[in-house]
Amino acid sequence: MKFHCVPVEERKELGNYTLISYRWRGPVEPGQFVMARAAGYPVTLDPFLARPFSFYDHDGETASLLFEVRGRGTALLERADRIEVSAPLGRGFWIEPSAEKAALLGGGVGVAPLKILRRRLIEFGVRYDVFLGFADAPTAGVAPEFPGAGVATMDGSVGTRGTVLDAVPDLEGYGTVYACGPTPMLAAVKRAADEEVLCQLSVEERMGCGNGSCNGCVVPLRGGGYVRSCVEGPVFRAETLAW
Amino acid sequence: MRERLAGVKLDVELCGIPLKTPLLPASGTLAKEALGEVEGVYGAMLPKTTTPAPRAGNPPPRVAETPAGMVNSIGLQNPGVDRFLEELDALDLGIPVFVSVAGDTVEDFGALCEKVCADERVAAIELNLSCPNVECGGLTFCAGSASVEEVVAVCRVAAPGKPLLAKLTFEGVVENARAAQAAGADALTVMNTIPALTVDARRRDVLVRGGLSGPAIKPVALRAVYDVFGAVGIPVVGSGGVASGVDVAEFMLAGATAVQVGTATFVRDPREILDEFADYLYQLGLDAAELTGGLQDKMGS
Repeated sequence: MKFHCVPVEERKELGNYTLISYRWRGPVEPGQFVMARAAGYPVTLDPFLARPFSFYDHDGETASLLFEVRGRGTALLERADRIEVSAPLGRGFWIEPSAEKAALLGGGVGVAPLKILRRRLIEFGVRYDVFLGFADAPTAGVAPEFPGAGVATMDGSVGTRGTVLDAVPDLEGYGTVYACGPTPMLAAVKRAADEEVLCQLSVEERMGCGNGSCNGCVVPLRGGGYVRSCVEGPVFRAETLAW
Repeated sequence: MRERLAGVKLDVELCGIPLKTPLLPASGTLAKEALGEVEGVYGAMLPKTTTPAPRAGNPPPRVAETPAGMVNSIGLQNPGVDRFLEELDALDLGIPVFVSVAGDTVEDFGALCEKVCADERVAAIELNLSCPNVECGGLTFCAGSASVEEVVAVCRVAAPGKPLLAKLTFEGVVENARAAQAAGADALTVMNTIPALTVDARRRDVLVRGGLSGPAIKPVALRAVYDVFGAVGIPVVGSGGVASGVDVAEFMLAGATAVQVGTATFVRDPREILDEFADYLYQLGLDAAELTGGLQDKMGS
C-alpha cells in the first residue's frame, strides 16, 4: 500500500472530536475513505496499521478527516505534524437524482461523510434533511457543523433523548436514506426504512490493509458469504447485507 | 536512487525457476485490486490459498492490531479451485505464478495438486500445511512430521514435475522440514503466522484468535529459517515479519533463497522494500543470488 506524506495544515477540536486538514487534490466521492496514520515509519510499527477514516470535507485543494481519539493510533494522529495517507479508497454513496427528499443519518463520528454527501446532493438538486445521533453533549459538539440538522443524544443533554432514529419524525416519508454509523445503528436504520426506499449504509469495520488484500474487514451478505467493506464498500445497499 | 540501483543484480533461481527479484507476496496478502502498485516488485505471483470447494471464511472480527503486527483469522475465504483457476489470468503480471493450496484431508491435497499441476500457467505449488486436518481431530497438517511426510508424499505423486513448496509453521519446524524433504518437497516456506490471541478487556471477550504476523514475529521466523537451512539440502523461502530491504537481506543471509513479504505491504509500498534491498546490495557490492546462507557465523543450530 502506497502512502503519501502530507503536512497537517489545520487542527480543530469539535467537541470530543478532532478535525485535521491537509492538502489533497485528488478526486473524492462522498463516502470514500482514507487510510491514515501519523508519519514516521518505522516509529509507526506501534501502532502498526493505518486507520480508515471517511473524508469529512474536500474543496479540491484541502481534505479533512474527523475522528475521535480512542487509542494510540488516533492519539498520535491527533498530535502529528505530518500524516501519511492513502486515498481515495472504496466505493462511496451513489446519488440518485430524485424529486423526493433524502434523509441523511449519522451516528457519532459516523457523521463524517455526510458533509460532502450533502454538498453533492445540492449539486444534483436533491432536497434533504440531516439527522445526527450522539452519546452525549461532548460528542454532539460537531453538530453545529450541520446547520439545521435534527439532533438526538442518548443522555438527552442535546436535542431529543434517544438514538438518531428518535430525531427523525417520519423516515418512511423520504425517497432515499443515506446512513453512516456503528453497526447497531445501521441495522436499526435498515429495519426502520421502508423496503421500497433506496437505503445506503456506510459500514464501520476494523480494517487491515484497506486495499482488498487481507479480507479482514468483511461484512455478512444476505444469502450467505462475506464481502470486503474496503473494496466492495464501505457503502452498501441495505438489502444486500445480512443484518 | 533508481538510476544507481539499475545495475544491481536482483535475480535469483528457485527450484529451477528464474525470478527477477527474490521477493514474493505471502499468500493471502495481495489482491487483484492492489496489483497496480506492484509491477516489477515481485519475482513470482503467489495468490491467496485455494481450496477444493468455495469457503465463506470466518465471521468478523477477523483482524486485530498488535504492537508491530496483527492477528488474523480469515478462514481461507476463497471461491474454490475451479473458479480460482478460471480467474487466474486476472493475476497475470508477466511473472511465474505459484499457487497456494489447502485441503481438509490428505486426499483433498492430492486432488488439488493434480488439478493445479495440470494447468500450464502454474509454475509451482505451495502446500499450506497450517490448516486443520479433519481426519486428525483438527490438528494441523504441521502437527507432526509423520503427517507432513504423508501429505507431501501424496502431493508429490499428484503433481509430478511441478516444484512443490511445503509451507511450515514454527512448531517442530526442523523435524517437519526434514520430513517434507524426505517426501519429495522441492523447497520449504518458513514460516506461517504464529498462533496468537487478542482480548477485548472492556467487553471481556476474545477479539481475534488467529495467527500473528508482521515485524513482531521477524526474529522467530529468522531463527526458523536459520535452523531449517542448516538441517536440509533444499531451498528455503523465508517468510515472517519482513518489512524492509535489510530484513530481506537478513532472511537471505540466514539461508533463504527467496523471501515473502505480506503484512508489511499493508502499511508500506512494497516497491520501497525492494529499493532498500537493492540499495543494500549496491552498498556492499553484492548480487542477490550470492546472499543465501552467507552469514559469517557458521555455528549452525
